[in-house]
Amino acid sequence: MTTSDLSISQPGSKLGRFRSLLFSQEGILFIILLLSIVVLSVISEPFRTVDNFLNQGRQLAEVGLVALPMTYIIITGGIDLSVGSIFGLTAIVLGYSWKNLGLPLEAAIVLALTIAVLAGLFNGLLIVRMGVPPLIMTLATLALYRGLAQGISEGRSVTGYPDWFLHLGQGSVAGVPTQVWLLVISAIIAGVILSRTTFGRSIYAIGNNETGARFSGIAVGRVKLLIYSASGLMAGLAGWIFVSRTTTTRSDMGSGLELDVIAAVVLGGTSIFGGSGSIVGTVIGVVLIQVLKNGLQLAGITVDGTIVVIGFVLLGSVFLNNSIQRRRGAL
Amino acid sequence: MSRRFFVLLLVLAASVLVFGVPISAQDGPRWDGGDDLPTNPLECPGEDPATPDPSVEPVPFNGGQAVNPPDLAGQDIVLVDVPKLIGIGYFAATTLGQQQAAEELGNVTVTTDAPTEANIDDQIAVIDNYITQGVNGILFAANDPVAIAPVLTRALEAGIHVVGYDANSLPEAREWFVNQAEFNGIAKAMMDSMAAEKGEDASFGIVTSTFTTPNQARWIAEMQAYQEKCYPNMTWLETLEAQEDQVLSLNQANTLINKYGEDLDGIFGMTSVATPASAEAVTQAGLCGQVAVVGLATPNAMKPYVESGCVQSVVLWNPVDLGYAAVYVMRAVADGTLTPESTSVEAGRLGELQIVNGSEVLLGPPFIYNMDNINDFDF
Repeated sequence: MTTSDLSISQPGSKLGRFRSLLFSQEGILFIILLLSIVVLSVISEPFRTVDNFLNQGRQLAEVGLVALPMTYIIITGGIDLSVGSIFGLTAIVLGYSWKNLGLPLEAAIVLALTIAVLAGLFNGLLIVRMGVPPLIMTLATLALYRGLAQGISEGRSVTGYPDWFLHLGQGSVAGVPTQVWLLVISAIIAGVILSRTTFGRSIYAIGNNETGARFSGIAVGRVKLLIYSASGLMAGLAGWIFVSRTTTTRSDMGSGLELDVIAAVVLGGTSIFGGSGSIVGTVIGVVLIQVLKNGLQLAGITVDGTIVVIGFVLLGSVFLNNSIQRRRGAL
Repeated sequence: MSRRFFVLLLVLAASVLVFGVPISAQDGPRWDGGDDLPTNPLECPGEDPATPDPSVEPVPFNGGQAVNPPDLAGQDIVLVDVPKLIGIGYFAATTLGQQQAAEELGNVTVTTDAPTEANIDDQIAVIDNYITQGVNGILFAANDPVAIAPVLTRALEAGIHVVGYDANSLPEAREWFVNQAEFNGIAKAMMDSMAAEKGEDASFGIVTSTFTTPNQARWIAEMQAYQEKCYPNMTWLETLEAQEDQVLSLNQANTLINKYGEDLDGIFGMTSVATPASAEAVTQAGLCGQVAVVGLATPNAMKPYVESGCVQSVVLWNPVDLGYAAVYVMRAVADGTLTPESTSVEAGRLGELQIVNGSEVLLGPPFIYNMDNINDFDF
């Protein structure tokens, strides 16, 4: 999508480039985001405080981290429904290996993240080597990993984490929540990889035409293994952060996370059919959903009302986006 | 198929095995959904109630305190009520009680707002937003006692009063908790009802929410202790998780019916969703009278089954009273009349409520709805 944007605008014309940026998916979303923030700030006084924004950052970090590799996966035309279960499995492995197996907490964290990567890799392996469709594969592991988490924990929660462990989820660095730093750094890296490297271009190539990509010498299998493993890693990382934020481990943690993540990625303009999308769009999507959830509630709308509004915004922005893209296509 | 693939698969399988072992090992606690906390079964039917030992010192206050709360004595206060979820009869009833109390008191405004699913992450976000928005007090029913603690602590630090009801948090994360019924009281009522219907050697299964939901896990542990003490010949078949989901509960009750067949004498429903779903499953299977359903539920949901004779006893406290008491407790905290030194608190039409376990206000003994009284209630 980014390359086609450039080709449509008149080369050399500043106005053309500005218009193309403004009317790109990200541009439209960004305008919607700014409008939402302005309107909500006017309606609600507590909304426009720095404390609130930082606090919201803390709450969206988990979805944001998982949404980054999900963007890659959806661009290749795949999907990963098992992220919520990997999130829960990581939390349980972390808590269980620390409390019940007696590992030092540091080792338990490493082990949990390793399991998370392996869980993602397992998805990738069966998708690549066996040709299982990603939707089916990750739907299966959605159940499998959640079942493992429940089996390992026997439904019991693990609590009593030491103070240093809670820093990741509850602490701040230079006044900004720790996990927000992690998200910002991860998003920049993910964005640069996607838009500035051969690896990133091969992700788009796979999504546009997998067979073509294969014949042009792209190691399609390896790319997919990497991104599904990355998805596992980020889901695990998010699980670790969540355990630290809530000071407890439960086997049902992260259930439904996959839907929040996919909603944010798709809202961010990534095509569910593959081939287009961007990290910038995903970040805007994640922030927009959080802003609406938070702002509407602060403006006095109840939770059930809020989700209805978010549903309409999702529909509305997809519609707006489609109609603008269509008009541009006609030019 | 490359060798590397199989090596990786092997590694994954090995890691699954390492962590999977406890599933089959079963030397730990039983897979029955109870928790590990100590139990305190009440006296069996016919026995004299144990008199409280006067030499035992009452538990000192163990709740938290709002940090520098504004002086709200006698002033109008704005409360938000965040139950586990909205859209189910049970929390509609607590909301009704809260509105009744607010109306009686005249200087309290209370709004109920919560996620539409019993999800800890969403509940934390909702409470967080109300702290930002600024209210005088938060009433809550926790989806997880520990996970909710950090956000409640934040509320206390912001000078907001915090009172729980129905499902507790860690004590230090709230000021008071209105306890609808002590766990051993409910456990006794449940087991006694089952014994009365199906005899002292009944075999039963349980449909619960999840094994980690604090109330349900506690009741099941107490039921187990009471059964071992008073009905040693009863048989526990299996406990199944069904969240608080209607379809899932129906399926799980059917699973029990199909799996155990003739051996199944009764089903305990541990949630206000699981009990009517179990009664429906038994009705559909044509097993009324053969399989007893005893459980916690709101009367309206159980009326068809009680009237058809399929269900004889529905165990519960009165959730309207529970919500009502929570608002009175919050008012007393804001007025400064309920302090860590108090031994009871005045709660309108409910009279004086006792304080137990350090920082809990006890609503009273459980209530059993049956064919004679169920039509007196509408919630």
